[in-house]
Amino acid sequence: MKKKSLIVLLAIAIVAMFSLSACGGGSDAGSGAAEGDSDIMVGFICLHDENSTYDLNFINAAKAACDELGVEYQIRTNIPEGQECYDAAAELVDAGCDIIFADSFGHEDYMIQAAKEFPEVQFCHSTGTKAHTEGLDNYHNAFASIYEGRYLAGVAAGMKLNEMIEDGTITADKAKMGYVGAFTYAEVVSGYTSFYLGAKSVCPSVTMDVTFTGSWYDETAEKEGANKLIQGGCVLISQHADSMGAPTACENAGVPDVSYNGSTVDACPNTFIVSSRIDWAPYYKYCIEAVMNGEAIDTDWTGTLATGSVLLTEVNDQAAAEGTQEKLDEVKAQLESGEIHVFDTANFTVDGKKVDSYMADVDTDEAYEGDTEVISDGYFHESEFRSAPYFDLQIDGITLLDTAF
Amino acid sequence: MENRVAAVSMQGISKSFGTIQANYNVDLNIYRGEILSLLGENGSGKTTLMNMLAGIYYPDEGQIFIDGKPAAIHSPKEAFSYGIGMIHQHFKLVDVFTAAENIVLGTIAKGKLDMAKATAKIRTICETYGFDVDPEQKIYNMSVSQKQTVEIVKVLYRGADILILDEPTAVLTPQETDKLFAVLRNMRNDGKAVVIITHKLHEVEAISDRVAILRKGQFIGELITKNTDAQEMTNMMVGHEVKLNIDRPEPVDPRPKIEVDGLTVRSSDGILKLDDVSFTANAGEILGIAGISGSGQKELLEAIAGLQGVESGTIRYVNDDGSREELVGKDPLEIAAMGVSLSFVPEDRLGMGLVGSMDLTDNMMLRSFRRGKSLFTDRKTPRELAEKVVDELEVSTPSVNTPVRRLSGGNVQKVLVGREIASAPTVLLSAYVVRGLDINSSYMIYDLINRQKKNGVAVIYVGEDLDVLLELCDRILVLCGGKVSGVLDGKTAEKRQVGLLMTQLGGGEPVEQ
Amino acid sequence: MNNSIKEPFLHITKRKEMAWQKAWAIRGGMILLALVICAVITASTTELSPLAVYGTMFKGALGSARKVWVLGKELAILLAIALALTPAFRMKFWNLGGEGQVLVGALATAACMIYLGKTLPNAILIPVMFIAAVAAGALWAMIPAYFKAKWNTNETLFTLMMNYVATQLVAYYIIIWESPKGSGKVGIINQNSEAGWLPVIGNNKYLLIILIVAAVTIAMHIYLKYSKHGYELTVVGESQQTARYVGIKVDRVIIRTLFLSGAVCGLTGWLLVSGSDHTITTTLAGGRGFIGVMVAWLAQFNPIAMVASSLLLVFMTRGAQEISTIYGLNQSFGDILTGIILFCIISSEFFINYQIHVRKAAGKEEANV
Repeated sequence: MKKKSLIVLLAIAIVAMFSLSACGGGSDAGSGAAEGDSDIMVGFICLHDENSTYDLNFINAAKAACDELGVEYQIRTNIPEGQECYDAAAELVDAGCDIIFADSFGHEDYMIQAAKEFPEVQFCHSTGTKAHTEGLDNYHNAFASIYEGRYLAGVAAGMKLNEMIEDGTITADKAKMGYVGAFTYAEVVSGYTSFYLGAKSVCPSVTMDVTFTGSWYDETAEKEGANKLIQGGCVLISQHADSMGAPTACENAGVPDVSYNGSTVDACPNTFIVSSRIDWAPYYKYCIEAVMNGEAIDTDWTGTLATGSVLLTEVNDQAAAEGTQEKLDEVKAQLESGEIHVFDTANFTVDGKKVDSYMADVDTDEAYEGDTEVISDGYFHESEFRSAPYFDLQIDGITLLDTAF
Repeated sequence: MENRVAAVSMQGISKSFGTIQANYNVDLNIYRGEILSLLGENGSGKTTLMNMLAGIYYPDEGQIFIDGKPAAIHSPKEAFSYGIGMIHQHFKLVDVFTAAENIVLGTIAKGKLDMAKATAKIRTICETYGFDVDPEQKIYNMSVSQKQTVEIVKVLYRGADILILDEPTAVLTPQETDKLFAVLRNMRNDGKAVVIITHKLHEVEAISDRVAILRKGQFIGELITKNTDAQEMTNMMVGHEVKLNIDRPEPVDPRPKIEVDGLTVRSSDGILKLDDVSFTANAGEILGIAGISGSGQKELLEAIAGLQGVESGTIRYVNDDGSREELVGKDPLEIAAMGVSLSFVPEDRLGMGLVGSMDLTDNMMLRSFRRGKSLFTDRKTPRELAEKVVDELEVSTPSVNTPVRRLSGGNVQKVLVGREIASAPTVLLSAYVVRGLDINSSYMIYDLINRQKKNGVAVIYVGEDLDVLLELCDRILVLCGGKVSGVLDGKTAEKRQVGLLMTQLGGGEPVEQ
Repeated sequence: MNNSIKEPFLHITKRKEMAWQKAWAIRGGMILLALVICAVITASTTELSPLAVYGTMFKGALGSARKVWVLGKELAILLAIALALTPAFRMKFWNLGGEGQVLVGALATAACMIYLGKTLPNAILIPVMFIAAVAAGALWAMIPAYFKAKWNTNETLFTLMMNYVATQLVAYYIIIWESPKGSGKVGIINQNSEAGWLPVIGNNKYLLIILIVAAVTIAMHIYLKYSKHGYELTVVGESQQTARYVGIKVDRVIIRTLFLSGAVCGLTGWLLVSGSDHTITTTLAGGRGFIGVMVAWLAQFNPIAMVASSLLLVFMTRGAQEISTIYGLNQSFGDILTGIILFCIISSEFFINYQIHVRKAAGKEEANV
C-alpha cells in the first residue's frame, strides 16, 4: 500500500508540475532600462509569453517603444483571460504604472473593470471593441488597418496564382486559395475578405475556401485545416491563426503560403511568399507620449500604413512571383493616397448583388444588430467608426467550409 | 564433536531494523551430517538470522565463516556460491512453468538450455533422497507439499549442501510431515548440513540432532536433542516456567445453536469452495474445524457471518426458545438487527478484523459506532472499552491512542478478541486465533475461549495446530476440499486419524462419532 | 577482518517509525536544502543575488495589501479544491477529476447567471446558482463513483477522462454564449447589472470567498474527524474487507463520499464564477484540480494542515511571478524553483520512511543517514 501510494504521489506530482508550468501565470521580460527621462511607468499584460508569435509581436513592440522613450516598464506574461487580468492590472497600478496595455481580446472586460476602479491610470486595450460605448475617459481601444496589409499580401498571392496559370501549372478556373481562420469573428472575416480582394485585384478568376479551427492557437488543428484545404484543391494557403501549423503543412506539401504575424521564411524557405503584421510600437509610443505630455488618448485609435502600424515582411523571392515587390510598392502607394479602397463596393458582390448600404454592428450589443451605416462614397469604411474590424459580409467567391465556430 | 570444522560459523551477529533489534550478538555453528533445529517463539529472530546466511539481509555487525574462511554474502546468488540454500515459507515459483523449468530458472549461464539433461539430473536428485516429484508437472497443478518439494529440489539442483528450511511443516499434514522428515534424514546421512526453523517442540524432538534456541533476538543456548525434553526447551524459549496443558472443561448443557445444512459456496470465479456441508454447533461447546489451509474454512465462517454469498443450503440460528432463524442472504447488519449476537475473529486480523492505521479506541468503535442517532461518533464508550481490554488482557501498548499496526501480533490479536468478546456473543467464530502468537499469548487466548464456552457460547474454532485442536475442542469437524470428511470426538480422536481425514476424501468411509 | 571482502556501499532499509520531532527536522532540512539548491542555480545562471531573489519572491507574494488579498483568494480556491478531494482520498478513491468537477460547477453557475440573471433578484439567484453548481459537481463525481462501486472500474482513469469531457462541454457552451459573436469568449457576465455576483464585504472583493472556504475547512475537519460518515469512509479506505465485516455498505459509502467531494468542487466553481472571475473559460480551474491533489497529499489529508500546504504552493507561484517580472526572467525560471522545492519536500517523505546506510570502505564503521 505504502509503495503504491508513493507511486501515485509521484505521478500526481508530475502531472501537477506540468499544470504548474502550463497554467501558473508567470511574468516576463524586464522592468525596463531607462535612466528615466521621465517618471512615467508603463505596464503590459500579455496572454502568453514570447513563445507565442502573437505575444512576441507585442512584447517586442513594448520593449522598442519604452526603450526609445526611456521609460520604465513591467511586462506580466501568461495572464489568463479572467480575474487574473484584473489582479495583474491592479498590481501594476500598485507598482506605480501610469498606463497599462493588454494584448488579448479576452482581457477587455477585466481592463474595463480596472479602469473603473483606477480613474487616474490609463488603460489601453488592443483589439477590443467596447471603448467607444463604455464612455470611460481612461479606457481606450486600438487596432490597425491590417485589412490593408492583408490586401497587399493578397496582391502578392494573386500574382503567384497568375504565375502558376501562365506556366501551365493550373488553369485559370482552378485558381483556388485556402484560408485557415480561427473563429467566424468580424476580425477574421475582415481579414480573409481583404486578402481575397487583394488577390482578385490581380487575378480575377480566383476563388477561396475558408475553414475555422475554433482556437487562436492550435497547431494540430491549423495543420489539419491546411491539409484539408490542400486536398480540396487549394493551390495557395493563408491563415489567421497564430501557430506554425499552416505554414508547416504548406512547406511539407510544397504549396505556397502567405503568412501572418511575421516571417516564417526560416521554417518554410520554399513556400513562404510574404507576411503582413501589425507593429504596435507606434501605438505604444503615441499613448505613452500622450501620458507624458498630459494629453488625452483617442478612445479608438487605428494604426495604418501611414503610421507604420501595418507592415509587410520582405518578399521571399524563392517562392514569390517575379515583380511582386514592385507591384506591392505600387499598390501600397495607391492605398495610402486613397486612390483605391480595399472594400470598394465595385469589387465585390453579395449573393450576386452589389452592396450599397450596410448597417454594421459597431456598438456590440447582445442582439448583434446593425447600428451604423458604414458604406458611403462607394466603399465600406472599415475601422473608422471604431478601431476593431466590423466587416462581416459573406461575399461571393469565398466558400466557408464549416461555420461551427 | 566440537573439534569438527563448522560448515557455517556465525560469530557476534547483530541486525536491527529501525528501533527493533532482530538479532543481537548471536553465535551459531552449523555442521555437516547433522540436522539442527533453530527454535524460538514468533519474533525471536530465527528467520532474520537465517536470512543473513541466505543473502537476503546483510549483518550490521559480526562475521560469517564458511568452512572456516570469512565470507560476505550479499545476495542469494552469492549464498549459492557458498553452497547455502534456503527454502522460505512463501514459495517463489512461477505457476505456469513446470517443476523442471522452475528448478533450472536462473541457473542458465550461457549457450543452449539442455532441458533433457537438466530433467535427468533432477530425476537423479529425486531418487537419491526419495523425493516424489514429476519434473514435467506444472506448478499450478501441485499441492502445497509438492511445491515445497520443488523448492527443496531447486536448492539441491544448484548444488547446495547447507539447507535451511523456514517453518517447513506449517503447511503440511502429519503424513506429509513424516515424508519430509524422511527426506531430510536422507540428506543428513548424505553429509549435508540441514537447519529447520520451527517453534513446534515435538518436531524438534522428532527430527533434529541438535537444537539452538533464540529468545528476543539473542542466542540462549544449544542442546543435544536426545538429552532434553519439551519442558526444558520451552522454559529456555519463553524464559520462565510455562504450563503446557490446555484445559477442556466439560460442556454444560450443550444445545444446538447453529445448524448448517447442505451448504454450498462458490468463489466469485466459480470455484467450488464448500460442497454440501452440514453440521450443528452447540452452545457451550467448542467445535474445532481442521483441514489443510484453503479447504473451505474461510468461506464457512464468512458464510455464517453473512459475508459470503451462498449458492445453496441453509444456516439456521436457534433461539433460546427453540425457534430458528435463517441467516443465509443476510448481511452482518441484518443479522445483528435480528438480535443475533455473533462475533467473528477472522484469519486476516489487520485486513478484516481491525484497521491497522487506526488506534485502539477507533478499532473498538468498529462494532459500535452506529449506536445513537447523533451524526457524530461517540468515542467515550469505545475508549473505556479499549482501556478495559488493555487492562484485562494485558495488552502491551503505549496507550489506547496507538495505531494497532504498531502492536505486536499477539497484542493485535488480544485487541481483536477482546472487542469481539465484549459484545457478549452467543456465537463466536474464530480462525487461526493463535497464529503468530507467542506461547503466553496463545494460552491466554485458549483461556478466553474456554471462558466463552463456559458462558454458554457456541464456539467454532478453526485451527491449524492439530495438537491444540485435539486438546481444546469438544468435537472436531474435518474439511477436505470443501467437503466434510469427518466429525470426531475431541477426547478420543487421534492425530493420525485427523491427518488422514484432511487428505483422504472418499478414500475411506467418513468417520462419524 | 578481511579487507578484500567486498561490502555493499549503500543499502536502503525501511524505518520502523520516527519521532515526529525528527520527521519535522528532516522536512525542514529538506526545505533548507531546496533553498540552497535554488540559490546555487539562481546565482550560477542569472548572476542575481539569491537573497535578493528570495526577498523579491516574498514581496511578490505578500508585498502589499492587495497582494495579500490576492494571495488569500488564490489560497482559498486552491484549498477548497484540496478539501474537496480529501474525503475521496481518505477513502483511497483517487479522484483526479477535480478539474472537471470545478468546471461543471462553474458551468452551472454561469448558466444560471446568463439565463436567470434578468429575471431573478440576487437574493434568490445566488442560492439557485449555488445549488446548481453543487449538484453539477456532485453529479460529475458520482458517475465514476457509481461505476467504481458497481463494477470496480479504475477511478483514476475515469475521473481523469471526465475532465476532458467537462472541458469540451464548457467549450461547447462558450460558443453558444460567446460575446461578441464569433469571438470564442463569454466575457464578464452581467458586468453592468452584477446579477449573480457574490456581494462584496466592505472594500474587500475576496473576503467573502476566504470566509466561505474557512467555514468549509472547519466543517470538513469536523466531518472527517468526528462524524460517523467520516469514520465509515476511513474504514472503507483502509480496508473494504473490514468495512464489509462490520456491515458498512461499501457501495453506498463510495457514492456518498464522492457526492461530497464533487459537491465541494462544484462549490469552488461557484466561488470562481460568482465571486471572482464572473466568466467561464475552459481554463478556469487552471490545473488546480491537480495541484489540489498535491496540497492534500503534502498535508497528509489533514484539512487544517492543508492551509499550510496550499499557502506554500500559492506563495511559490506568486513569488515566482514576481521574480519573473522584476528580473525579466522567463516565467519558466520560477517554475524551476517551485519544482525543486516540491521535489525536496516529497523526497523528505522518502528519508522519513527509509534509511540509507553507507559503509566505509574500511569495513565496520557505518554512517547512517
